[in-house]
Amino acid sequence: MIALSQPRTKDLLAIHGWSGVFLGLLLYAVILTGVVSVFAHEIGEWSAPLPHATHELPAQGLDAAIRKASAEVPAEFHEDLFFFSDTAGRIRAFFHKDDHRNGQPEARGVEFDIDPVTLKVLDRREGWADDIRDHNVPSALADFFVELHVSLHLPNPWGLLVTGILGLAMLVAAVTGFLVHRHLIRELFTLRKKKDPLLVKRDAHVIAGTWNLPFAFVLAFTGSYFSFAGAFTIPAVAMVAFGGDQEKLIETVVGVTVPEDKTPATFGNLDAMLADARSRSGAEPGFVTVEHYGRADAHVTVSMLPPEGKLAGATFIYDGDSGAFVQQKPTLGLVPSIGNDLFVLMGPLHFGNFAGLWSKAVWFALGFAGAYVTLTGMLLWTTRRQEQPGWGKLARAAHWMGYGLPLALATVPLARFAAPLLDVDVRALQNGTFIAAVVLASGIALRVRNLDSLRRVLLAGTGIALLVAPLLRWISGGPGWITAFENGLATVIALDLAVLLAGALCLLAARRAPAVMPVSHTTLSDEAHA
Amino acid sequence: MTTVAALPTQTGNRRRAWSRGILAGPVCFLVSILVMAGASLWYPQGPAQINNIAVPIAVFPAIWAALFFYLMLDNKLGRAWVVAIVLLLVHAGVIGQHVMASMAAKKAETAAVATPAAGVAK
Repeated sequence: MIALSQPRTKDLLAIHGWSGVFLGLLLYAVILTGVVSVFAHEIGEWSAPLPHATHELPAQGLDAAIRKASAEVPAEFHEDLFFFSDTAGRIRAFFHKDDHRNGQPEARGVEFDIDPVTLKVLDRREGWADDIRDHNVPSALADFFVELHVSLHLPNPWGLLVTGILGLAMLVAAVTGFLVHRHLIRELFTLRKKKDPLLVKRDAHVIAGTWNLPFAFVLAFTGSYFSFAGAFTIPAVAMVAFGGDQEKLIETVVGVTVPEDKTPATFGNLDAMLADARSRSGAEPGFVTVEHYGRADAHVTVSMLPPEGKLAGATFIYDGDSGAFVQQKPTLGLVPSIGNDLFVLMGPLHFGNFAGLWSKAVWFALGFAGAYVTLTGMLLWTTRRQEQPGWGKLARAAHWMGYGLPLALATVPLARFAAPLLDVDVRALQNGTFIAAVVLASGIALRVRNLDSLRRVLLAGTGIALLVAPLLRWISGGPGWITAFENGLATVIALDLAVLLAGALCLLAARRAPAVMPVSHTTLSDEAHA
Repeated sequence: MTTVAALPTQTGNRRRAWSRGILAGPVCFLVSILVMAGASLWYPQGPAQINNIAVPIAVFPAIWAALFFYLMLDNKLGRAWVVAIVLLLVHAGVIGQHVMASMAAKKAETAAVATPAAGVAK
């Protein structure tokens, strides 16, 4: 039991509730899209599968493929190169140079999608980094969910700023939630099934929230860190410590400095470098950068995926010219440091990708519980006050967001699979369909007076959209289950089944008896002091 | 009589609520940014020479949260304002001094490059 005075508990409870009510609608959107984004790789593979399933860089032939691609790229873009296995399983290789557009730093160059098995170039895109990304079709569906989660599709830095603030609101809700629950252990297991339905819902909210508290804290902290790092913390520190030079800041924290030498030189064998990195770490390479490809001062940084049982992978440096191993280093700096440890921890803790599918499944489940807690929290606060002026509208808004957003999200895969059939731009159709679904859900929310009927209609719509998605995927040219099974595309079958199951559950929930939420005179404050 | 007596209290409460809201909202955010940016100048670099950059960026949410809860929960609103303003002024001062010193160094460097060139021209 946490000993707090009654006025202090009341203050904390007010902060807990208001932080949720004010920002809960958007926070729910960020959490729900985050839950979906945990499986970004799988969504990419599901929506645009190659005939063979792999997310690993090949052991042989990559060097030749990169050499061949480099020959087709203007020399100015040899300044920097990175490649990795992207969400759709393609090797994405980007030859580029650091440039500025509208006063903002942005890379410009040529990007290739390379098949990891046949090593054929599948697509070539040229231009500014943001424009190139907009023309990447295989990753379009996964990108939609990830971008909605990261920035709500708002322009930079505003989107990042908003999601960062939402992360802080979640942090506040998690900390105050921990402090106001005076009987923390008891509340982990208290569900009064035969009581007032409102109390049952309150108990369900508290149980899910209490179990989820540490995870919510971790996600909120790491999420706001990522958002603010992109929005202003890195630029702010660069401004103060490096006179505004963000590239200099990155150079300093990375720690590798090679004296400039623009003399053209041969380039070492990438296959051999990656084989050496594999043997040193016992893991697969995740992300590879090459600075000054084809120059005497070229060097290669290989960031390995985490080996089994570890949160982070090793980083190796190779001399680009000879391909010789230079050193192993932390991700940041050249010797171990607390700054590097903190930086390295943030990614796996936020993305849950440190132990393959298992950790992702746990992150998905805990994230889903977080979305449930946010939604039920909003519904509890607004429904119990819905007879007071203004609160009725907020209760309606909570239902609209709570059940309308899943509907809008469920229509996006339909757009993804319909776009090739209609011969229209995939990303434009995805965005248009999502907006149209939001408008439709808004219209329904305004027309349907009874909140439970509203919940049922929106859930039924979501269920139908989800049930149609696998069928449309197949009609639009995606592999059927037999083909997928023969080619080892287990992800395609698993996601089809998961989507069908989710659709069926939504329809079942829509058929369920009305969830009675009477206006009670009991307040959460009274409950907290009970 | 009761109503008349209650009015100033209600106005005072509303004023305090607004003051608390501004302090724990925009002021807290601004001070957190300044503390984070200023920490890159006073936090030890460590053996890797990067802690002063990486640590403040990584712990920014914690800086904000600690400050937010203090500014929200300190019973003495005036004291909370004083703490926020002192933190703001100290870090603004540290950053301002560093920026001025950097600008002066740059100016001196430019002058040092220009002087021999002028001598050669003569």
